[in-house]
Amino acid sequence: MSTVGRVINLLAALIVSAAVLALFAFGYGPVPALGRSLVPGHGAWASAAGGQPIHSQTLSLPGLAHPVSVAFTSHGVASIQAADSGDAFLALGYLHARFRLTEMDLQRRLGQGRIAQLAGPAGLSSDKFELRLGLLRTAQAEWAATGRTSPAGRALLAYSRGVNDYLAQARRKGDWPSIYALANVYPAPWTPVDSLVLQGVLTQQLDYTTTPLDYAILERTLGRAHTMAWFPILPPAPQHPYDPGPYKHRAIAPIAPQAGQGQAAAAAPQRAEVPGAGPGSSQVTAQAARAASAILAQANALPPGLIHQYPDSNAWAANGPAVAGARSMLAGDPHLPQTVPSIWYQVALSAPGLSVTGVSVPGLPGVLIGHNAHIAWSLTDTQNQATLFYTERTSKSRPGQYFWRGAWRHMRQVHYTIPVRGASPTHLTVDITVHGPVMTQAGQTTSVDWMGNIPSPDIAVILGVAQARDFAHFRAALARWRAPSQNFVYADDRGNIGAISAGYYPLVRHGDPWLPLPGTGAYDVGGVIPYASVPQVYNPPGHVVATANQRPVGPSYPYYIGTSANFFDPGYRAAEIYASLRGSHKMRPADFASIQLSLTDRLARRIVPRLLAALRRGHLTAQQREAAAVLHGWDGTMAQNSAAAALWWTFWGDYLDAVFQPWWRAARVPVHKDRPGLDVSPQQASLDQVLAAWTTGDPSNRAFSPPGGPHRTAPAVMRAAFATAVAHLAATLHGAPAGWAWGRLHSRQFPSVTQADALGYGPRASGADLWTVNAADGGLVSHQGPSWRMIVAWAGRGSATGRGVYPGGQSENPASPWYEDQMNDWWDGRYLPMPPAGGYAAGPVVWSLRP
Amino acid sequence: MADLRRLGKRGSYRLGRLGAQPAAPKAPSAPHYPSWAPHHRGPVLLWLLACLAGVVIIAAAAVLGWWFVPFLVGLAAGLAARYGRWRLRVTLPATVAMAAAGWGAALLWLVRGGLPEGTVAREIAALAGLPAHAAVAVAVTLLVAVIQAVVGLWLGRALAPSRSPG
Repeated sequence: MSTVGRVINLLAALIVSAAVLALFAFGYGPVPALGRSLVPGHGAWASAAGGQPIHSQTLSLPGLAHPVSVAFTSHGVASIQAADSGDAFLALGYLHARFRLTEMDLQRRLGQGRIAQLAGPAGLSSDKFELRLGLLRTAQAEWAATGRTSPAGRALLAYSRGVNDYLAQARRKGDWPSIYALANVYPAPWTPVDSLVLQGVLTQQLDYTTTPLDYAILERTLGRAHTMAWFPILPPAPQHPYDPGPYKHRAIAPIAPQAGQGQAAAAAPQRAEVPGAGPGSSQVTAQAARAASAILAQANALPPGLIHQYPDSNAWAANGPAVAGARSMLAGDPHLPQTVPSIWYQVALSAPGLSVTGVSVPGLPGVLIGHNAHIAWSLTDTQNQATLFYTERTSKSRPGQYFWRGAWRHMRQVHYTIPVRGASPTHLTVDITVHGPVMTQAGQTTSVDWMGNIPSPDIAVILGVAQARDFAHFRAALARWRAPSQNFVYADDRGNIGAISAGYYPLVRHGDPWLPLPGTGAYDVGGVIPYASVPQVYNPPGHVVATANQRPVGPSYPYYIGTSANFFDPGYRAAEIYASLRGSHKMRPADFASIQLSLTDRLARRIVPRLLAALRRGHLTAQQREAAAVLHGWDGTMAQNSAAAALWWTFWGDYLDAVFQPWWRAARVPVHKDRPGLDVSPQQASLDQVLAAWTTGDPSNRAFSPPGGPHRTAPAVMRAAFATAVAHLAATLHGAPAGWAWGRLHSRQFPSVTQADALGYGPRASGADLWTVNAADGGLVSHQGPSWRMIVAWAGRGSATGRGVYPGGQSENPASPWYEDQMNDWWDGRYLPMPPAGGYAAGPVVWSLRP
Repeated sequence: MADLRRLGKRGSYRLGRLGAQPAAPKAPSAPHYPSWAPHHRGPVLLWLLACLAGVVIIAAAAVLGWWFVPFLVGLAAGLAARYGRWRLRVTLPATVAMAAAGWGAALLWLVRGGLPEGTVAREIAALAGLPAHAAVAVAVTLLVAVIQAVVGLWLGRALAPSRSPG
């Protein structure tokens, strides 16, 4: 080789060596620092240490005031015994971080608009949305309003200390969860604001809806008459309110003065009219519809589950003659997006003044659902409308201003810099009006007034509930709860039961709140329903109370709380629960369990006889006759091996299509802009209810006849839909109709919180549908359902027997034996004993935590 | 019987084999060296020991978190190859083997210690968006070591003056 050649060779070798070493040391763009990430024993491989079975040991946790003992059951359920509540919350923070750090940090990043920092540019749309919406601003305001020495302040500080103790340990040992080593981005220290951001994420999942935007698009395309007939305020069928009245109209209550990003809601309360009472005057302009489309596009880019769509939780209680061997019993199964790991971490906390067992949310101090020594409680989503959109009046000659109450006002601006892994940071400016943050300026400047943006002392309330001894304490603690509005179902050791739908129910001064409202001031939120008037019941005469996201009050309730679209469940689960409870006496926990596991579809039981009657009057092919025979005698059970269940579900979808799709096509409803909110599907609670009502009571309704088409009646459309369903199933499943098992169509899936497919669970063939008490929501591959099943029986004063189970396991580490170890128990309907409140779980492993 | 009597004698045939045995090969006229070595470079055992040392160094360094050591070992191999006048077709496979075996040994060491590295390997592959098989993550990990070592080898050879065609 010549000298020149050797020099060139040397230079090339030097450059390539430097490039490779730099790439492996620091990464480049989306490529992680592969050398650091993949060196065996460190980086991503180090997460194996976190997956090892734990053993008894003594750990030093700075910040503890006294020694703490933590006992683990064989499933990893922890019982924390501490000498004071601060130590208990510090230990809880440590455990959450030890077993759920990735989940906590991802939720924190989601709420704070920091997903792109970990995931790169793909996370930017979510970050922008969340920063606009303002979970971080709300959390900061909430923390600013929290006294540092208040119970909530101390709990949040102690909890953060516990999380940071674990972060320090992980930093020292280098055994981070794999995702951080691969991304070379590590969790920042935990703060109380982070916990409050997580509270905001949960609130968003349960409370933030885009339904008014869907209404705007539907009204613009279908017209007001059809929209309000097919998506009515009050559902056409009788409901099963847990609070049947009588009701008393009181003056509306003001929104807490420190609350809110906007000031409109905090203004002095005025009279709020019941909407929909007057003539329909609202006109959705093309600009408003365009703005609605723009916001829906943002929402559709979010990770699944962040926009509230599926109302599927159950909770009920019984006392008196309804129960046997117990003074009262309570059952609860909140239905949330099902992920691996679960949203829940089961724990028992014991300290002077604090004895509680149940499920906690990693990232939050306290037990959200469970029981203490005297009371038990569970939650379902109230489903009232908590999101209102305002179209702001702006002018090109007045940039950055909007018109409100007769004057031009300056929008407040907040600036953010969003770090993006592998790319330059992105800057975002959020405009805020008196109503709330501006979500879009496309078409028409539109802001959102969301109750979740009002700081809500939920941690203080949860701590208060955990310390309540009776219903009076329970009710008093919940008075401060604002969002997300929840039905708190109650049972105590004296044999009392009850329920309260705590939270803010916004009331506008004028206008139709289910549509975007003019932002000029006259249509602002004037206040909320007074706490004394929110739905509630105590020791009902029937000895049972049940909530399943149904409208909690009857039609004579004097306040607007939402429409039938999205905001409330159609009530089929509530009907099944009430039917089971009222038809039984001397129930035991096993009876409650059988209700929680019920696969009965009440809508099917109501409609299938009508279908069979219609089929008897028509000509059927041999295959259709065979399929109809499958439905004969079916009891509406959506079992995995049921061919009738598959036929019913397919038929109902085709029936909805046959009735409504011609109207949708004629009106050119842009369903692609928000399929869950705009498309014709069984997920549209309003359409299900109106079609069921027409089928049984108005079979000649004009809607059965397509626009410009021949006259049709319900039986004719049912026959056509049944033929379509049979053809569909024959093409999909083949063979004889008796072999078309529901489980061949329907499955459950539990995606990983990291969104790595291989780390999730399923899809696995499953029974159930969205109307069964044991619900499966989200379509043919369900990803939402019972996230925790709990039954508590009170045998006497201070004597509770609790059992519960959730799908998944206590650890988020796929290498841990506690990653999915409860999945089969949950799947097969088995329950595990809950550690006693104030007691100690019997377990083979004990940690001694020392200051 | 005549055939049996001939068993064991010159020109006889073995049971199950017909025909005469082939002639014995001629003894080499000179000591045999592998064709890839132009000159004698010392005992093969020494080379193997050096490679083994490289493997141990890479493995031990990996356990300590020193991810860049495969590069250094490759660099050393490159320098040694120049001074020792070893050909690339020898040093390249040896370097690749050292790097892969070093990090592979470190992984095995962790597995022997009871760590669930198989599951973690699957997790790494899944999080990286690769096919979620443990073998994929292991292969990528070993590849990182090998790339470093090869680049180091190149740099080592380029740094040292060439003493013979290689």
